[in-house]
Amino acid sequence: MTTNKINKEDTLKLLKEWSREFTVFVPSKDNGVAAMVEWDGKDIGFLDWYRNTTIPAKSSFLPPMEEMFSFQNNGDGYQLKLSPDQHKRIIFGIRPCDARALSIIDKVFTESYEDPFYVSKRENTVLIGLSCTNPYDSCFCTSLEVKPTESADVDLMFTDTGDKFIIEEITDKGKDLLALTGVVKKATKADVAKATVVKASISKMVTRKIDTKNISKKLQASFGDKDYWMKVAAKCISCGICTLLCPTCCCFDICDELSKKQGARYRRWDSCGFSNYTQMPMENPREEKWRRVRQKVCHKFEFYPMNSEVIACTGCGRCIRLCPVNWDITEVLASMPAEQLTKK
Amino acid sequence: MSVTNISHRKQNIVKGNVYLPQIAVISKIIEETPSIRTIHFNFKDEKLQKKFTFDSGQFAELSVFGVGEATFCISSSPTRNGHLECAINMVGLVTNALHRLGVGAEIGFRGPYGNSFPLDIMRGKNLVFVGGGIGLAPLRSIIWNTLDNKNQYGKINIIYGARSPSDLCFKYELDSWRRDASINLVTTVDKGDKDWKGREGFVPAVLEQVAPSAKNAVAIVCGPPIMIRFTFPVLEKLGFKPDQIITTLEKRMKCGIGKCGRCNIGNLYVCRDGPVFSYAQIKNFISDEY
Repeated sequence: MTTNKINKEDTLKLLKEWSREFTVFVPSKDNGVAAMVEWDGKDIGFLDWYRNTTIPAKSSFLPPMEEMFSFQNNGDGYQLKLSPDQHKRIIFGIRPCDARALSIIDKVFTESYEDPFYVSKRENTVLIGLSCTNPYDSCFCTSLEVKPTESADVDLMFTDTGDKFIIEEITDKGKDLLALTGVVKKATKADVAKATVVKASISKMVTRKIDTKNISKKLQASFGDKDYWMKVAAKCISCGICTLLCPTCCCFDICDELSKKQGARYRRWDSCGFSNYTQMPMENPREEKWRRVRQKVCHKFEFYPMNSEVIACTGCGRCIRLCPVNWDITEVLASMPAEQLTKK
Repeated sequence: MSVTNISHRKQNIVKGNVYLPQIAVISKIIEETPSIRTIHFNFKDEKLQKKFTFDSGQFAELSVFGVGEATFCISSSPTRNGHLECAINMVGLVTNALHRLGVGAEIGFRGPYGNSFPLDIMRGKNLVFVGGGIGLAPLRSIIWNTLDNKNQYGKINIIYGARSPSDLCFKYELDSWRRDASINLVTTVDKGDKDWKGREGFVPAVLEQVAPSAKNAVAIVCGPPIMIRFTFPVLEKLGFKPDQIITTLEKRMKCGIGKCGRCNIGNLYVCRDGPVFSYAQIKNFISDEY
């Protein structure tokens, strides 16, 4: 696949051309919280403010609340109506960590029963990645085989080299997208060399690390250590933000809305951090907070790897920087009892 | 004999709107106890009614439109066609709404989901059914299933208990099982009344008194978690090996198809890997959260 380039001031032209055929989503903080938002055609100002969205791009595939079907009963029985199909979309500027997260959770939504809402959004969306230029100090993606400047999980990969973006074609879907426009040119050797230098400098900026070697086994060995989990969970306030805004967390609740004779069934984000998540009439297997914190950690680093051979974390760092009580997954994993044993 | 690998997880992929329920119509309601009722229902789509199949032990998501969905085991037997049955204990929003519905009301049905009782392993064996309260509902499906093919199985023991005589479910069937000479039915309640002719005491204790032989036998246990936990050691004491003990576990579920996340016990999902597990499997669970 070839490497291309575009002058940064031509980016708006590019988006405009694409928006004739696609609904284009771009990073925006116009709503107060940084998220992928439908582009309104205005200047996006080279996204100078943009480090990552607060709400991960998963919300474009598993929205916080989503109608699954509507129903109506006019006295002659229930009529169920399906929600409309997904239109063609482009998500511009997704970071490699969030793109990897989608590849990780694809399995959940395609295994055994195909989830029609998630899958149709995935099939109808082109992902355009954007290399990180300024990772947060809470980021630890490089420990999880995610590079801040490379991605195999997107269709096109953009890298900011100052006055232009270098564009790598990753998939045919991405290549086809470039064929639609005239503002993209072939990159020269010098362009590519510059991008390589930029990329190398950014990767070094991610300094936070976790040790993933045998992590599933170590957690298994630490699973029954109630004292450890109580200590780890002590300051957690069960707000759920680390799961709701995690790009690989995809748990949901199903609920109905009703007004007079018509209504709809929705799904909405749910969190293993909430005790009613597992509440049953007579008992609750995870009523105690330490069990819920243990579930969150072990699901990502122990159970998910057992089932799918991949850790359900991309090191995006949101659960660290957005936590109201400074709970830190990297500290938790480094202080595992099994971790201490191996160090002795 | 091994039930450590009860087959599960669909190999083929189901497509379409997997969250869209089928419409079913309630055809009959039986009030079992002050808080439990059995509903009989048929699919509105007659073609579906004819081709619908399931296995004993599988469950479904029933819904009242506008209120929500909840998980129920199918308590009727696939050997008896015509309609489906579920026992509904009034404990939450959806179950309360299901208790307010009458004959002719329309409900939503998604399923059947999950694995089922391992008939291939049970064939040729003596069967010991141990149930508590509404836990008889899933057992009832497999009990009728085996009774309808009686020549394939050995002796049938049923030990069933509830808090009080009025809390026993399926009383009309308990009578017919009691009259059946090939079935040894023992009923027990925590505290009887003046008309009570069965035993008194908790299910695990009564099981120990009845002491069914473990030889060439399979025990199938279902009831509240506390009963299940106390029944396992009694069965082991009677000589049952962990892979001779089968149970079905209950968890809060929403999707029923391995997506929504909440029914996990360690790396296993009760909806997708269960709900039927052998005690041998349970002993290997990573987690004690069952």
